[in-house]
Amino acid sequence: MITTSLLNLLHDFGSISLFFKKVFLTLLRTRGNLIPILNQIASISIRSLPTVAFAGVFVGAILVLQFNLILSAYDAQVFLGGLNTSAVVREVGPLIISFLLAGKIGAYTAAELGTMRVTEQIDAIECLGTDPIQYLVVPRMAGIVVSSAILLMLGLLISIAGSMAVAATACGVNPWEFTASIPQFTSISTVVSGMIKSMVYGIIVAGVACHQGYTATGGARGVGRAVTMAAIYTNFYIVIANYFTSGFLEFAEHWIQILGAQAGLGLGKAL
Amino acid sequence: MSEWIECPIPVHEKLLKRIGAPVYEQVCTTYEGFVLFFRLLQLLPQINTWRWREIWKAIAQIGVGSIPIICVSTAFAGLVITQEIAWHMDKALHTVSMIPGFTAQFILRELGIAIPALLLVSKVGAATTAEVGSMKITEQIDALRLLKIDPIRYLAFPKFLAAMISGACLTLIATAVTLGCALSVAVLRFNFSVLEYLNALRHFIGPKDLICALVKGTLYGGVIPVISCAYGFRCKGGAEGVGNATTHSVVASTVVVILLDFLLTYIFTWVL
Amino acid sequence: MSIVFEKVSKAFGTKEVLRNVSFEVKKGEILFILGKSGMGKSVTLKHIVGVLKPDSGNVWVDQQNVTSLDSFQLTQIRRRCGMVFQHPALLDSLSVFDNVAFGLRTPQYQQTLPTPLTEKQIEEAVVSKLQLVHLGTDILKRFPQEISYGMQKRVSLARTLAPAPEYLLFDEPTTGLDPITTEAVNSLIKDLSHTLKVTSVVVSHDMACALKIADRVLVLDRGGILAHDSVAEIRRSKEPLIRDFLSETVSLEAQLGASQLINRGAS
Repeated sequence: MITTSLLNLLHDFGSISLFFKKVFLTLLRTRGNLIPILNQIASISIRSLPTVAFAGVFVGAILVLQFNLILSAYDAQVFLGGLNTSAVVREVGPLIISFLLAGKIGAYTAAELGTMRVTEQIDAIECLGTDPIQYLVVPRMAGIVVSSAILLMLGLLISIAGSMAVAATACGVNPWEFTASIPQFTSISTVVSGMIKSMVYGIIVAGVACHQGYTATGGARGVGRAVTMAAIYTNFYIVIANYFTSGFLEFAEHWIQILGAQAGLGLGKAL
Repeated sequence: MSEWIECPIPVHEKLLKRIGAPVYEQVCTTYEGFVLFFRLLQLLPQINTWRWREIWKAIAQIGVGSIPIICVSTAFAGLVITQEIAWHMDKALHTVSMIPGFTAQFILRELGIAIPALLLVSKVGAATTAEVGSMKITEQIDALRLLKIDPIRYLAFPKFLAAMISGACLTLIATAVTLGCALSVAVLRFNFSVLEYLNALRHFIGPKDLICALVKGTLYGGVIPVISCAYGFRCKGGAEGVGNATTHSVVASTVVVILLDFLLTYIFTWVL
Repeated sequence: MSIVFEKVSKAFGTKEVLRNVSFEVKKGEILFILGKSGMGKSVTLKHIVGVLKPDSGNVWVDQQNVTSLDSFQLTQIRRRCGMVFQHPALLDSLSVFDNVAFGLRTPQYQQTLPTPLTEKQIEEAVVSKLQLVHLGTDILKRFPQEISYGMQKRVSLARTLAPAPEYLLFDEPTTGLDPITTEAVNSLIKDLSHTLKVTSVVVSHDMACALKIADRVLVLDRGGILAHDSVAEIRRSKEPLIRDFLSETVSLEAQLGASQLINRGAS
């Protein structure tokens, strides 16, 4: 049983990758995709913005409460702002907000494409001589990748604001104290790593959702299954990708620091 | 004669419809969700009417079926969070000696509960809405009602009970797995000994944390089937309807879980 | 100028849907494919446009082997085949007008014309095709969700007819339509094949229609061909399944006759 489910998982991962490659090649080979992609970006971002803002505020708020609980035990509330901001931007924010996006964008797209598949709309497009991948999937996939990155970044900013508000009202840390410790923990690299994570999660949401919707079969039940699978797989892959991106970013940061130090040393010698 | 005045109602009507229809739908679903919740609570004390076979089946499907995915996901989360916390501790306090307490508290209070809950939302919530929604649009639910079988008692209640039990158990399993992974990272990478780690845990977490985790897990487990059944019961139209209902149910459950998490964290802050 | 199936086999998982199926459709002919549900009728149609690939065997359209064409050549074949689906399969996000104009606006179609179509020409074409299926211009601006199922099916037919296909493939064109519209669709199929020499393949389980308008009838059962004959031969067949189909038809023909009488009486 374990081997079959593992094989299924690998099989799905492989077919998602192949699908992604197909879409990417279509994007490169065809023209006139820009306007549909921009349309998708606009509609996805506007549709999901309120939910993301809501989630952002509460993710920040929850973390601030938790950190406050732990830090106040050590009398170290001066670190609250920095610790919270860093944790939100580097780790928890992208994770939780992208879980929400998996539902809001991923499940929506899977439902949309799945409905079109089971009502034979995709076959109809194909028979009328248009490539459904170019007409339907390319704009959606590119749109999701770009707009989920945008939305995640917005969500992170909002969550910092939310945590500031909660820190001021519930933890007795006023915004000045809160912001004072932020520079100690965050730097350009924090923001960059948050952005890279957002991009990776956006790619996962786009690939899994479009693949599940596009390959749905079997009536209304099939659409339901496609949506469920899209939600589950997206969350699952995001958690795993989280590990690998974290490891990779830590590795990259380490080497950049070393290289930067050497460059600085070199520069110092030259001067 | 001056120009004829015409109220541009059609435009506004369309606009109102576009804004109002989803809001109306949301309000109705929320109302029905609350009614469903109270009906389920009423059914809870009537132990002699419980359908044990359905409940066991639901537990197997919801609880046991979710164990692999939750274990793998939370294991990865445990690996990441230790490294992240170590990085932060190093920056703030220039020592990593506090890793055990910090990670354990964070896992037991937040991470080990929120991640399984959100995974349950997509696994159980979406599947339930899809199932109930397909039953609704193929008129199976109407058929049940014609046969004088209460769909709430027959469909929703076993899932509700099973999800609450599974929620509690899965929370325990998930926190155990996450802690195990956190421990292994601490041992392998930051040179703690196992005993040292476990000893440190004792000072930072107690039965209170465990009870809070169980309460949270049970509540999230209970909320998910209520929301997903409410959306499933309202499902209309063909394949499109099922897809939309499932999407809305996943989003609503995620939002409610995050909101509940905040409220419970806030309450537990005062209790602890 | 014909469609040829050569020993086509297709299985989905362990379920064998087509087994060594061979037949030919001549130019200008109307072929009805009959059979019970799940006997591979729709699957056969989807092989012609290359949406499905056979596990073994070949499908020839115009002396071109559909199974070995690349996607560009396949698009060329598909442009000349119009397919009418079982469901209306109209694009939800487009209005009725845009749905019918969809095929006319594709670059693949425009390339075959001496000059690209202007918007006015497209509009004229759309309106004339809608008239063919007995629909007025009042529904042009509406969306598929806002019109009835029968109307959706007719719009879908108009959409298929718009790029002037040489082959028409129908997947249950009259299911879910009222008897009068059914009649209209049937006579439309007949007209197209007789006046424009369009080759039609119709998948159906309606023996009555088949007997009325088909040139030849193909009966599929359990993956194989049970009969492939002219209408007159089918009427004389002794196969139990075909006799069952025929006996259904007698009562249906009686009903249809009655409804036409009532209709005439009313008008």
